[in-house]
Amino acid sequence: MTNWHPTEDDLILHFYGEGRENEGRVDDHVHACPQCQEVWDDLTETLKMVDAAQVPEPDSGFERVIWARVSRELPDRRPAPGWISSWSVRQWLPVTGLATAVLAIIGASYMSWARPVVITPELPRQGAVTTRTPPADPAAANAKARERVLLTALSSHFQQTEMLLVEVLNAPASANEFAFERTSADDLVSSGRLYRVTAEQNGDRHLAQMLEDIERVLVDIARGPNQPGATDMKNLRTRIDNNGLLFKVRAVTNEIRQRQQTLNSASTN
Amino acid sequence: MPLDDAAAVAQARGGDQDAFRVLVDRHSRSIYRLAYRMTGKPEDAEDVVQETFVRAYRQLGRFESRSNFATWLYRIGFNCAIDYMRARPKRESSETHDVLDQMTHETSAPSMDDLVYAGEIGERVQAALNELSAQERAAFLMRHYQGCSIEEICKALDLKSNAAKHSIFRAVKKMRVALKPLMHARLERV
Repeated sequence: MTNWHPTEDDLILHFYGEGRENEGRVDDHVHACPQCQEVWDDLTETLKMVDAAQVPEPDSGFERVIWARVSRELPDRRPAPGWISSWSVRQWLPVTGLATAVLAIIGASYMSWARPVVITPELPRQGAVTTRTPPADPAAANAKARERVLLTALSSHFQQTEMLLVEVLNAPASANEFAFERTSADDLVSSGRLYRVTAEQNGDRHLAQMLEDIERVLVDIARGPNQPGATDMKNLRTRIDNNGLLFKVRAVTNEIRQRQQTLNSASTN
Repeated sequence: MPLDDAAAVAQARGGDQDAFRVLVDRHSRSIYRLAYRMTGKPEDAEDVVQETFVRAYRQLGRFESRSNFATWLYRIGFNCAIDYMRARPKRESSETHDVLDQMTHETSAPSMDDLVYAGEIGERVQAALNELSAQERAAFLMRHYQGCSIEEICKALDLKSNAAKHSIFRAVKKMRVALKPLMHARLERV
């Protein structure tokens, strides 16, 4: 018996057949050393147990549901919207107006946050509030109100971002007129920066990082040419696709919606 | 005669969406299982499945016909799941801690059969998976359930070899801690 004992990492690699040069040595040692044999047995039993964990099977119509969802998103099936016509100024204006109004509120909230008042950025977990007792602490009530406003603003921001990204992804190979999209992107960059700073101050690194990723692409759109050529459009689409940006935006929008619902149900209970 | 994957891919590349549907029908459940283990929630798993196929469709031109379609799709699926989890503000971690703590306190040596049938192993494994970072989870699942080599994991997740190994080490260690109470129950039965 030598003084050498395989580490837990060695044993894990050995279990998965990745130990390479150590394979024979670990195997021999484990058989000869009761102490390591015990660790090995525990490890293998644990990993067998992991195998026993089943994933709940989806319903019988799962494939049909998935196909319905996927086929809506496939480029060829989606009716190609006109570059500008499908999102006219009339449709955008109310959204932009709302965003501006919300931004003003957020600005006020942000200024308030900047004061030395500790605001808890996280939502109460589901079920955390079960009674209808009015909040005794006015600071806590204010924090909730601010969070509600912030979530509304963020939701609006991400929805507009999604619209813009969908437009870019579905635009013709070379766009004749890009001015409107550039302006929209510019607006979103400004508001996004404000949200990013707020997220950073509240320690929400994921959200801050996500806003930064989006910002990079929005800046490209905002600073791009008014009549982008095929290469410009291809580069933009590739950046959006490769970063999975649209998907990330949708995921975070869903998450915000859930947080809003949680907050609302906590208030009504 | 049903299309095999290679033929379906070739036709889908030419814009045949019915051929792509063959691939969706054939692989969506296995991608769902992967996505469920990654996200821990059925609705999130469905979102990931959807995105995986949409992304695969867009990237069909990059698929090398000599490769295995399922392997290629898994790789996209894992990356979609990682993106999804990273985009999602991290809020469930403390909830998962609670679930694990609760499970630990509730385990008063029931029989192994009871545990299996009650699905507690599945729940506990999933709770332990939820404790891992997206990268650790993906690396562990690729190694453990898909049998991918370290090299394949590095390629799929764009990691260096040491980072992939350490992700797996951390995942297994956390899994051992989380499943320890069940191990005791199992040993008592033996």
